[in-house]
Amino acid sequence: MNRDVTFGQFIPGNSLLHRMDPRVKIVLLCAIIATIFCTFNFYALGLVTAFIIVAILLSGVPLRMYLKSLKVIIIIVVITSLLNIFYSSGTPVFEFWIFKITLDGIYRAIYVTVRIIALILISSSLTFTTSPTDLTDAIERLMSPLKIFHVKVHEIAMMMTIALRFIPTLLDETDKIMSAQKARGADMESGNLIQKVKSLIPVLIPLFVSAFRRAYELAVAMECRCYQGGEGRTRMKSLHMKKLDYLSIFLMALVVGGVVLCDIFLMPI
Amino acid sequence: MSFISAENIKYSYESEEHNKKTVLNGVNLKIEKGEFVALLGHNGCGKSTMAKHLNAMVLPEEGVIYVDRMDTRDEELTYEIRRNVGLVFQNPDNQLVASIVEEDVAFGPENLGIEPDEIRKRVDNAMKAVGIYDLRHSAPHKLSGGQKQRVAIAGILAMEPSCIVLDEPTAMLDPKGRDEVLSSIQELNKKGITILLITHYMDEAVLADRVVVMDKGSILTEGTPQEVFSQVALLKKHGLDVPQATELAYKLMGAGVKVDKMPLNEAQCVDLLLEVLK
Repeated sequence: MNRDVTFGQFIPGNSLLHRMDPRVKIVLLCAIIATIFCTFNFYALGLVTAFIIVAILLSGVPLRMYLKSLKVIIIIVVITSLLNIFYSSGTPVFEFWIFKITLDGIYRAIYVTVRIIALILISSSLTFTTSPTDLTDAIERLMSPLKIFHVKVHEIAMMMTIALRFIPTLLDETDKIMSAQKARGADMESGNLIQKVKSLIPVLIPLFVSAFRRAYELAVAMECRCYQGGEGRTRMKSLHMKKLDYLSIFLMALVVGGVVLCDIFLMPI
Repeated sequence: MSFISAENIKYSYESEEHNKKTVLNGVNLKIEKGEFVALLGHNGCGKSTMAKHLNAMVLPEEGVIYVDRMDTRDEELTYEIRRNVGLVFQNPDNQLVASIVEEDVAFGPENLGIEPDEIRKRVDNAMKAVGIYDLRHSAPHKLSGGQKQRVAIAGILAMEPSCIVLDEPTAMLDPKGRDEVLSSIQELNKKGITILLITHYMDEAVLADRVVVMDKGSILTEGTPQEVFSQVALLKKHGLDVPQATELAYKLMGAGVKVDKMPLNEAQCVDLLLEVLK
């Protein structure tokens, strides 16, 4: 089993994107996703896409990694663009039996495709350039104002950290249990879907039992290391915003401004 | 007063059939500062329960434990005691919290509310002390068992305790990992940290200054490794092993060979055999 797939696909590096404050990266990602959905014509979309392409080139991550991340959603892209091609009104450019393709439909299909691809690319650039620990750390800090509403921010972040830590360990364990059950004659490959799911039960039960045992042992070990919840806890690494972060926020603001201007003054499609 | 002083500790728990099962039945244990003590015994003899008593994870039903003059029953001192006496467990996987080595080592000091710069210093020192500084950016699941266990030890070390209790730290490791962990432990002891090594490997117990043998919730015998392992008959009676070298000498004694001093390791055994063969 490939353990790294589930690990946020972080690719270590020292590019501009790697060096950005993870908090800024998360906020900018949210902003850019919102902006993508607020583009009403090709000029606005083009502007955002250009910004995303620049970001990707600056991330220092090999392009084939981005292509790989697109592979997963290719079916969704194809289906949505086909739907858009066939289900739109306007003057047909091509007609065959009950199908008719309109210029409007083609535009829409391209539009939707570009939107989805842009969305996936920029989201993966965040997970490619930010380590899972930095991510949880940033989420904890971004969410800290919610403490006023009694949201258990530290506890949520702690759970995320522990989950990330134990995913590879539990995957390893699943592998071992599967081999052990196979060695005892368990059949996991043949049969229809229901039979296959049923054959997983002898894997899942030992896995759960062991997960509970691990959780208990981890809790004891954490208590032995003086863990008493988030109160009075300090962090070794503190996050600082640098010039680079302010610069990227400024650039983002320019793009948002540009998109708004395009939306207002140019024709929507 | 000794650094750790446990007097007449009794502890029992309710088993499934609602009858009380006595785990510790009046244990007296004294550990001096800077000592290296090995605690030997069967599975279920109460060694692990004893370990958890030493950092106030478990409180005694009867008797008192003082750690550096602090009573473990005093709730206000609980975290000071836990900082002072670190516990390392058998399974390294279930002790590591973070997915990066240096962040895991920082977990303890972070809980203590120490300043970031000071944590950084302590974390670096702790990692260097057990020889994992080069692995500081790795993910724990990519390390070997011995490396993971040393990360766990570094995590304890970063809290700057004066004593480390290790509960069968080598039980799940391969021979190479065992050697790594044991030499780290010996290294730390040389730097003045008190060590209590709980084990059922006799070869590990030989490394200690003092060996304490537990059986059925009480202390069977204690003394230097030489003294303890000379009582082969007593240990055998309670189903405990002795180091292989000692075993061989014991059998030779049974066959009529005169042995003055029980050998504890291979080198001593070779000397003995040379002597005998002359």
